[in-house]
Amino acid sequence: MKQIFLYTTILIALLSSCNEAIKNEENKVVNEIDSIVTKVGSILPAADTTTTIVDAEVNPVGTNTVMLVQDQPDLIGFWVGYFKKKNTDDSYKKDISAGDVLYWNRENKINISLDQIADGKVKGHSVVAGNNRPFEGTIKEDETSFAFELSEPGDDKYDGKFSFVIKKDDAKLEGTWKAYKKIDIQERVYELKKSVFTYDPEQKLDYGQPFGDWENVKTTKLKDKDMIEYYGEFLKEYATATQLIYEVNASNTLLKKKDVENMKKGDLLIIRNTIYARHGYSFKNRPLRVFFDAQEWYIPVHTDITKELTDIEKQNIELLLKYEKNAKEYYDRFGRG
Amino acid sequence: MNIGKVISLKNTVNLLLLVGLCYFTYLMILITLQYVPIDFSAAFLAVKEEEIKLTHYQIAFFTHVYTSIFVLIFGITQFSAYVRTKFAQLHRGLGKAYVLLVLLFASPSGLIMGYYGNGGISSQISFCLLALLWFYFTLKAYTSVRKKNYTAHKNYMILSYALTLSAISLRLFKWILSNTLELPPMDMYRIVSWAGWLFNLGVALLIIKNKREPFKNIN
Repeated sequence: MKQIFLYTTILIALLSSCNEAIKNEENKVVNEIDSIVTKVGSILPAADTTTTIVDAEVNPVGTNTVMLVQDQPDLIGFWVGYFKKKNTDDSYKKDISAGDVLYWNRENKINISLDQIADGKVKGHSVVAGNNRPFEGTIKEDETSFAFELSEPGDDKYDGKFSFVIKKDDAKLEGTWKAYKKIDIQERVYELKKSVFTYDPEQKLDYGQPFGDWENVKTTKLKDKDMIEYYGEFLKEYATATQLIYEVNASNTLLKKKDVENMKKGDLLIIRNTIYARHGYSFKNRPLRVFFDAQEWYIPVHTDITKELTDIEKQNIELLLKYEKNAKEYYDRFGRG
Repeated sequence: MNIGKVISLKNTVNLLLLVGLCYFTYLMILITLQYVPIDFSAAFLAVKEEEIKLTHYQIAFFTHVYTSIFVLIFGITQFSAYVRTKFAQLHRGLGKAYVLLVLLFASPSGLIMGYYGNGGISSQISFCLLALLWFYFTLKAYTSVRKKNYTAHKNYMILSYALTLSAISLRLFKWILSNTLELPPMDMYRIVSWAGWLFNLGVALLIIKNKREPFKNIN
């Protein structure tokens, strides 16, 4: 009788965890692009529509190929680099690390786009971490350099003020940024390079990301408690990526079932998001952002690239999402998929 | 160790196995329910898009899913000497249903699905072979009981149910592999498509070879 009771208890305990055993209901696929063709997976809002007016002007600006600045028109274009924390005594406290391998110092790649310069007035916008914000201000020219004072509108929590200098006969932009409101990282410094953006479907990923090593990371030492869950997910996600992310290009090749069916979650995720990165998509999702920011060729240009996607890409995204969803739900569960 | 303790240990092991079987059968019921009502894009079918467009695959798939679960359930009590002697009618009834479902529905539909199996020629051969052997063992089990050859009946039923249980072992092996070696999905699938039933077949042959209680003394 005692035995029967014991086994019944065990059975009930097992049964209560059953649905999780056959299907992972949480962990929806990370997809920031609301493409018309994609109906599977959870889809996050794609764009900050209030700033797309500026975005529409972006492409001609981004293709200004004058690299060495001599005159005011040469200034027009994309200035790209890392948006760094201003060094203060406790600035390291904001950093995030997982194990010994993964470390993120909270620095994102920023693209400061100077769109219009006339009569000492400047208009432009910046794209960083999935945010596209306009700015306006003044330019002062002397014999050796151009000095800028530019302000963001102030209706966003992360708005602030840019001050930077571009020296003549140079291709470098140096300066600071201060937030209006009290936020996590109040001041930023940056040294940006003049860059040209062109969509290149042949673009491959650079080597050098510590994918393989992350597989073995078991512990996460984190300073920021809220990030624990997030980075747990981060590691799980990226640990599964293989060599395939460097070999498979989903922008220039129409992928077939046989190409993707043996891919792991991380491969599918990176290969799909590399399509977005080629179009200059600025990632909101942090793990993806940290990964693509580190790619030399990558420039954050748009917060919405839905209209830019080619037919091949749309079809590949649909296929990859289907397998990502399947992998998330069933890969490590009791079942076939 | 005295005899009493041995018997009690054996009972405990048997009971544990039974609890395990019930648990995994319940999981199989949950998996089956993912396909109720009929939905051509549910679960596994999301990655069988090309195949599920074919009418004969649709028929095969849903026939297989809806009948195999009962084959699995009907088999649970069939090896119990207690049920067999005290409820002979039940044993016969469930047995007939089991044989009928395997021979007419579950195995032929499994053969068609095996032909379209994921993972290339290797797993296709594996699944087709599985369906054919399943059919053969079940048929032999039936014909031998008609001829009152109970030993052969028992042996073939052990083999048949071992293959029925490959539904569970395949998924269990896949679960173990995906949580340990983290292999790419199709590599894993190729492995378990063979391991899933070969392992069971091996165990079944061992059981037949070393038959002791309760098989020996009955009939």
